[in-house]
Amino acid sequence: MDEVKVIDDQKRDLSLNRPTKRDTTQFIVTQLGGEQYGIDIKYISNIIRMSKITRVPKVPDYIKGVINVRGVVIPTISLRLKMGLPEDEVTKKTRIIILTLEQHESIGVLVDEVKEVVTLDEDHIERMGYEKDDKERFLSGVGKADGKLISLLDITSVLAEVVDV
Amino acid sequence: MDTSQYLDIFLDESKEHLQNLSDQIMDLEQNPENMDTINEIFRAAHSLKGMAGTMGYKRMQTLTHDMENVFSEVRNGTFKVQPGMIDILFKSLDALEEYVNNIQQTTEEGTNDNQDLIDALNSILKNNGEVVAGGSAPAAAAAPAPAAPPASADGNAKKERWQGIKVTDTEKMLIDKAHSEGLKVYGVTVYVEEACVLKAARAFLVFKALEKLGEIIVSAPTAQDIEDEKFELTFSLIFISGNTADEIKEAVKSVSEIEEAFCAEYTVAASATAKPAKPVETKPVEEAKPAVTAPTPAPKAVVPAPAAAAPAPAAKTSASSSASSAKPAAKPVVNRTVRVDIEKLDNLMNLVSELIIAKNSLISATAADESKGDNGSVNEQIEYLESVTTNLHESVMKVRMVPIESVVAKFPRMIRDLSKKLGKKMELYMTGEDTELDRTVVDEIGDPLMHMLRNSADHGLEPNDVRVANGKPEVGSIFLDAYQDGNNVVIEVRDDGGGINVEAVRNKAIERGTVTPEQAETMSEKEIIDLLFLPSFSTAKKVSDVSGRGVGLDVVKSKIESLSGEVEVKNRFGEGSSWIIRLPLTLAIIQALMVVIGDEKYAIALGSIQTIEDVLPEDIKLVQAKEVIHIRGTVIPIIRMDKVLEIPSRGDENKKSKNLTVIIVKKGDKQAGLVVDELIGQQEVVIKSMGKYIKVPKMISGATILGNGEVALILDTNALI
Repeated sequence: MDEVKVIDDQKRDLSLNRPTKRDTTQFIVTQLGGEQYGIDIKYISNIIRMSKITRVPKVPDYIKGVINVRGVVIPTISLRLKMGLPEDEVTKKTRIIILTLEQHESIGVLVDEVKEVVTLDEDHIERMGYEKDDKERFLSGVGKADGKLISLLDITSVLAEVVDV
Repeated sequence: MDTSQYLDIFLDESKEHLQNLSDQIMDLEQNPENMDTINEIFRAAHSLKGMAGTMGYKRMQTLTHDMENVFSEVRNGTFKVQPGMIDILFKSLDALEEYVNNIQQTTEEGTNDNQDLIDALNSILKNNGEVVAGGSAPAAAAAPAPAAPPASADGNAKKERWQGIKVTDTEKMLIDKAHSEGLKVYGVTVYVEEACVLKAARAFLVFKALEKLGEIIVSAPTAQDIEDEKFELTFSLIFISGNTADEIKEAVKSVSEIEEAFCAEYTVAASATAKPAKPVETKPVEEAKPAVTAPTPAPKAVVPAPAAAAPAPAAKTSASSSASSAKPAAKPVVNRTVRVDIEKLDNLMNLVSELIIAKNSLISATAADESKGDNGSVNEQIEYLESVTTNLHESVMKVRMVPIESVVAKFPRMIRDLSKKLGKKMELYMTGEDTELDRTVVDEIGDPLMHMLRNSADHGLEPNDVRVANGKPEVGSIFLDAYQDGNNVVIEVRDDGGGINVEAVRNKAIERGTVTPEQAETMSEKEIIDLLFLPSFSTAKKVSDVSGRGVGLDVVKSKIESLSGEVEVKNRFGEGSSWIIRLPLTLAIIQALMVVIGDEKYAIALGSIQTIEDVLPEDIKLVQAKEVIHIRGTVIPIIRMDKVLEIPSRGDENKKSKNLTVIIVKKGDKQAGLVVDELIGQQEVVIKSMGKYIKVPKMISGATILGNGEVALILDTNALI
């Protein structure tokens, strides 16, 4: 769980800066294939190391199964498969990010790696237009930080599709 | 006075009283002469009136008052119960129920005066029990005359009620001792205002005030009964004090909501003479009083008069005393309960679940350590922990369990009404009302059951003449049986009517275009019956307002499935049909058998498992391209779990030579054999929801967390069969 602690430290650092900036959003930057994706920190309740995922029969393949997080059974999906990338390869860096959208309803998403936390203000976020192609329909915009481009995931639309299935 | 904080209690109690009234009136219809029933009705109506009055619901109060008057006359033997009267009483009950529902929704009783019902009730009174519209003449004849004596008796008794207190020898000694010490002994009678909501609290304050001035020797009713609010509006006591009667009176009256207090010096002689009078005198006074003070037209106020005036016949006195003796017996049960928010129980349940998971982890941790050496004492403690957690779990589950009685109690009345409405004679027989189910399930099961009963009454039972022609008893029977079966509770709604006409359903399905004629040909009887559960499928030839609108059975089915239950239909054409609802007993923790299939672990509820068999591969036969085995004379279909669960095969070519482990599970009287790879053992598992983000297949009923923190899925064998 030291991973989480690091992030907590970063969070604290950032929160010290917060009063000076307005309209900023914090994102956790994750690696997925060759690209970096940002997830709005307000949805994230936990980040855990890869643990045993129990397969659930007869569900779409991007639903990897269910895991136990402190006594709660949480379904876990593969963002890679969801976004049409090749199947996950579990490494030491693989993490499960636990997202909580509504009260007590959580879902885990599998990512290759959790990199850092960035704080972006609106000026550094380029919102997506209405015409999104297949891969882009889960994106809410693109953020620029330190010269890198980070695709910002629209978590609600990612999960909305899960619910529909 | 602000009564809003009592609204919940008022609603709860009103519903209880209404249900009680309904039951008793049903009973009265069968046994019009039963005095106990009449007394019970009177009392329930009276309490209801008092409560409605206190809460300021005038319309409700007026209606109950008039009902009470009718019962009062029946009780006095002025007239007898007649069928027409019962109908009016039931209508009045419905009206009361409507008031209560209105109050529940809006806190207002609504504006319906139900004047017609009040008039009808009054005309019963006027016509000495005859249900005649508009009659009036012979009405008041008897009434005004006896009105005077009770008034005086009333006034008389009001002051001297304390004289009715029986004094034991010990108390006499205390009195004598007080006299010798120069203290005075007083008899005190206190009247609480009728509008007083917390009578017991007021009485307590009176006691407290008096205890400052002296010593209370004895009270009537007893202090315990007063504390439990088992008194009408008055209580009396004998009191030793050095103060004057007026001072005592002042002290009592300083307590708010005390209407009147009487205090006079007590003599043993006075009580001795009053003693024999007590049983006859006190009771009628209690009844007379509320009637006199109730804000209603004059003629009604005198109604209870004969009771007080006429020396009550022996039978009546015993009836009322037996009724009042029944009350104390029932009351403590009510008083010892606590209403708890179901959410708090859920929370408790979750904690118990966590505890069980922790215990299971402990077990697997020590099992792993076992090789290192002897840890007998640890094992002992774990066993102890296990028994404690099991008991704790059972206790918490029991707290959540309520008898289905609360739901089914209203059905006899419903069937009675249906019987009248449909013009069919029918009788409802219920068994197993005390079968317990989880609270949440009980709350939800009422509507589906009601629907099925209506179905039985409307479609199931044939008209009386047809029944007779078919050689059946004229009166149709509907049965509602509830019982526990393993981990399930079964509720069966059965009738001895015509059963389901499968051909009619088949034709209807074709007509409706639900299935094609070709499809219909090949469908089995069961499949045809299942069509009934489709939305908008009703075979009733004529639409009645009882059933037959085509909504219903699909709703019933989905409701029951949402409670993880299921419906099954057994049909004997010409003899009747039975609808069997099977519901899980608990929803949270089960005993399960852990099995291994492929590389995965699954839990199977122990309740559904019959036996576990070792089967040779060559014993498996093919019947209609389905695998079956013969076990002790029965043919049981085999389900290959690894196929069903799409488990990647672990490439065991040796499997063919090996014996198969087959778990025989049952669902009702159907069986199936599940082929698994390995058995792990029995374990208590906590059922966890898998969240709403994934839609799990029906054969998975949930997940559980194993001792090592892994998640295992729970198989719903009912969905597999």
